Amino acid sequence: MRTLYSLVKKEWIMLLRDWHALLLLFVMPAVFILVMSLALQNSFASQQAVHIRYYLINEDPGPVSAALTQRLLAVPGFSALPAQAPVAALATRVRRDRAQFLVVIPRGFGQALLHVHPLPVRMLAGPGVEPAVYKLFEVALRNALGRIYAQRALARLRNLAPAPVSAAVPGFDFDAADKLLQAASLYQTHGRTEFPSSVQQNVPAWLVFAMFFIAIPLSTTWMQERQQGTYARLRSMGLSTRTLLLGKLLPYLGINLLQVILMLLVGLIVLPWLGGDRLTLGHSPPALAVMALTVSFASVTYALLVATLVSTGEQATIFTGVANLLMAALGGIMVPRFLMPPLMQALSAYSPMAWGLEGFLDVFLRHGGLRTVAPEALRLVAFGLACLALAGLRPGRREGKG
Amino acid sequence: MIQIDGLSFRYPRGENDAISKLSLRVRPGSLFGLLGPNGSGKTTLISILTGLLPSPPGRVQIEGKPLPARRPEIQSCSALVPQDYAFYPRLSVAENLAFFAGALAIPAADTGVRMQEALSVSGLEPFHGARAERLSGGLKRRLNLAIGLLNRPRLLFLDEPTVGIDPQSRHFILETIRRINRRGATVVYTSHNMEEVESLCDEIGVLDNGRLLVQGTLEQLLGGSESKQLVVGLASPLTAEQSKALAARPGLEIAGSELCVPSCSAADFHRLMALLANHGIEPSRVKYGYGNLEQLFLHLTGHRLRD
Repeated sequence: MRTLYSLVKKEWIMLLRDWHALLLLFVMPAVFILVMSLALQNSFASQQAVHIRYYLINEDPGPVSAALTQRLLAVPGFSALPAQAPVAALATRVRRDRAQFLVVIPRGFGQALLHVHPLPVRMLAGPGVEPAVYKLFEVALRNALGRIYAQRALARLRNLAPAPVSAAVPGFDFDAADKLLQAASLYQTHGRTEFPSSVQQNVPAWLVFAMFFIAIPLSTTWMQERQQGTYARLRSMGLSTRTLLLGKLLPYLGINLLQVILMLLVGLIVLPWLGGDRLTLGHSPPALAVMALTVSFASVTYALLVATLVSTGEQATIFTGVANLLMAALGGIMVPRFLMPPLMQALSAYSPMAWGLEGFLDVFLRHGGLRTVAPEALRLVAFGLACLALAGLRPGRREGKG
Repeated sequence: MIQIDGLSFRYPRGENDAISKLSLRVRPGSLFGLLGPNGSGKTTLISILTGLLPSPPGRVQIEGKPLPARRPEIQSCSALVPQDYAFYPRLSVAENLAFFAGALAIPAADTGVRMQEALSVSGLEPFHGARAERLSGGLKRRLNLAIGLLNRPRLLFLDEPTVGIDPQSRHFILETIRRINRRGATVVYTSHNMEEVESLCDEIGVLDNGRLLVQGTLEQLLGGSESKQLVVGLASPLTAEQSKALAARPGLEIAGSELCVPSCSAADFHRLMALLANHGIEPSRVKYGYGNLEQLFLHLTGHRLRD
């Protein structure tokens, strides 16, 4: 026990004195979380809920235009901004992306609605409007116009038809179309639809990324111990391979857990303070603990395996850096999985980082418990055991040289 | 102290034996110099004796305890001081000693005393708080040695402990090793510095290609008839006929105006003198006697360059 305590204490002291490792393990992920969460806030917001800001000018005093205006104002996620300026001035603001759209209902629109040559509603989009948002707004506007047109056309038919026919025509509910579609998100849980927000995606993503990055300091120190002869010296003192492996495993497990706590605090406190959303942790602390421990176990054992495969610290750094970036790219760390095409989503199933991220998302986003995270946790444990077995097969290769 | 009988060892996927049918005795309390060119098997042998490499049963005994059966007991009373700086540069001298004391499972109550002993013997007391990475080469060597003293070893393996340091530090380390040996510890010392081994060791073994070539005290090794060297200076250049006559004599080396026989028995000496007289070769000077350890070493292991 005293031996193990000494090994753990030594690792902690050395890590605390290694500024590069501290930057890599704690500062880098915190910065990534802050920058990516805030920078992608709008992009993720479009997945979660639509917020479109627009100017609406109604130049037509008639009831038709008033009805159209009411319809537009009722569309969820569309926010009409105060439009107290001339059309030209509002168009300039749209051009400068102060608002995304300008809608002008021209004078005489209502009267000309059923004419052969109607007066069109004009829609102007800002240069920064994404094509999908443009299409969404256009469709919403056409939908409102279509319903107004159908109502007016039916009323005209009633007026033109003889009284018996007119009386036989039933009243139509033009909003009935809304009842013809039942839409639900895959992220729907507990009766609520929850897409990951920028914070919900980025905090666990970069946390998992950082946890796997302990492979660099761990494998580098392991390499140095082998090259400097300390590994051989410790073995000659009677320390078993199992003790030495445990002496590496335990302190870095602790470091991983510290990373989890600090990165969650960034999501809970720092991001809201900077204007971002607040991270929600879900309802199952045990599931969160299981995910933290299993991701940590996988990352530490992976680092041990890297350390036993390479021959120099430089090789360890390069190999781990490249492998981690690949795992991150595949695992939905950099690009969320739900944005990937099917092939890439299928490939991401092979990245341990994807298992870790999905497990955390299960807890944070889908309010999953132990049973929900069990598949990901078991995969991570299996991955860790495989790494440990391979690392144990060749822990040191430099006892003899002369 | 150490008894090895017919030990052989081959690395996995190795083509040849790194140690081949080696038998060796090291007396208790001796300061044993283990010599050999690079790749001769020295480090492999030390790795086996310190339990880093597996040894076949029944071939090695240390203090009468067989390896590998009683490896833990053997490791607890022995220590290895590797050639590399086998400590942690980011830890201070005291932190390194405390860590290795902990790794050795020395009880916490004894750790302070053991550390003080190690610091005192290695003269590192003034530097106990200094980071190891900021020490000079000589101080690093002393820290490397100090760590090896923490478990008060009865058997100490020193693998080239004076490489790359100044004469003062070398002198201090050699004196420290003598003191440790005088206190009763058996020391196995490997080095490429023959002068060091000559001055330090009371018994020497020369290893090459995994085999023990010779073993004995310095006097025994240098006093053996085969190790006497004959050097003859020539008064005038050799003629073609004289050169031809001398070239036919095995073991004779001709280098400019000098003839040399690295291993020359008394009978050989008289025969060669007669040969020179018969061919009219006049010596300007004759030097016949013991060579030094380096000459013996080169004679035994050859002049071929090693890795």
